[in-house]
Formats: sequence, structure tokens, C-alpha cells
Amino acid sequence: MIPLQSYHPVAEDSSNHISAAPLDPVALISLAHHPKAGAIVLFSGEVRDSNLGKQVTHLEYEAHVSMASKMIAAILKEATSRWYLNIAIAQHRTGKLEVGESAVIVVTGSAHRKEAYAANRFIIDKIKHEVPIWKCEYLADGTKEWGGNCNCGVVNGEW
Amino acid sequence: MKVQVFAVLKDHFDKEFEVHANISNAQELKNFLIQSRPETKNILNNCRFAVDDEFVEMNFKLKIDDTIAIIPPSSGG
Repeated sequence: MIPLQSYHPVAEDSSNHISAAPLDPVALISLAHHPKAGAIVLFSGEVRDSNLGKQVTHLEYEAHVSMASKMIAAILKEATSRWYLNIAIAQHRTGKLEVGESAVIVVTGSAHRKEAYAANRFIIDKIKHEVPIWKCEYLADGTKEWGGNCNCGVVNGEW
Repeated sequence: MKVQVFAVLKDHFDKEFEVHANISNAQELKNFLIQSRPETKNILNNCRFAVDDEFVEMNFKLKIDDTIAIIPPSSGG
């Protein structure tokens, strides 16, 4: 009998959850295949060219890297056991990001789509609200704003 | 003790600095920082403090060789 193996290629490496290098959604989805997983969901949070009516030229993300890595690893572990995931991957970018780049990617895989979608939503919401990562928006008028679009008062994920 | 600040707090403090005052817990450290930069009061009141990658309560006893990270509300994603 072949033992069941859980397959979390990225989740096992907690140093890999925070990346100063550009994120690669195609590479991540190519890792995300599992014989027990009939549904794979990939979420990419991307840099928009505007926020609250103001034109954004670029963003910078900063993280408390060691803490953020550990917290993302714990969130993936919690989601994996709650939704019986076969695949749970999350990476958040740091540094300067241009419009259209991925700031955060979450990949979930499970037997059926309901769990993969629910777990993916849970993971991205937790990352946004709890993990020590901060966004600074650089605006077209030359000013900057820390923590724009921070919805920390909202905990149910409805924004 | 060493203090690390992040995000908006870097507009008010060095990213990393030493505090030599007689401080015994996280609340006292916060009070000390507010006293030295009163304009950061509202920000610091919304921050959490962490030692060794774990959030701590404000009554957490600080040691002289601790590094305290001051964590503003998250705005990732």
C-alpha cells in the first residue's frame, strides 16, 4: 500500500513566504498538482493604478520578515487542516512594485472546489489583516501614504 | 534594549535604535517613546509589540538584551 503523502512544496519552506524578488504565478501554479486534488485555486493580489480616486505610480511593501514568514506558515497549516487541503502555498512580495505586478499569491488545492475556494479566501484575508506586512502607496502628486486600503477594522472579509 | 520600527513609524524614528532608559515592560517603553515623539501617540496606541517573533502583552517584562519590534496595523495584500 502506498502511503498518502501531503504535498506542500512551498509551504514547507517558511523562508519562502516573503520574497524580495518578483512573484511568479505561472511557476507557482505549475507546482500545484496533486493526485488527490481535483480543484486548484490561485489568487493573485495585484497593484492597481489608483486607490480612492488617487493615481498610484507604484507601491512599496515592507515586512517583518521572520515574523511574517512564521505567521503565514501557521495560517497555511491551519487552513490545511481545516479544509483538508492537498496544496497550500502563499507568497507575499516586498520592495518596490509597479502597477500590474503580483503583491501576493495564494494557491490552494483540494479534492473539490468548494474547499479550495473557501481556504484560499481565508488565507488571503488572514494575511491582509494579521501578518506584519505594510504597503506604502506612492501617488502621482509626489506624496506617499502608508497603509492605504487597510481594512483592519473589518474582520469578516467583506470589503 | 533594541527597538525596531516599521512602516509609518520610520517617518518618526530610526528603523532600529537603542533605548538605555530604565524601562521594565512594553507599556513603559511605549510611554517613553510617546514622551520623546508626542506626535506618534495615536500611531503607537494602534501598534502591537513583539519580542522574538511573538506578539507580547503590554505588561510583558523586558530584559536589557531584548529586541522589541513595534508592529503597526497590517496593510499587506
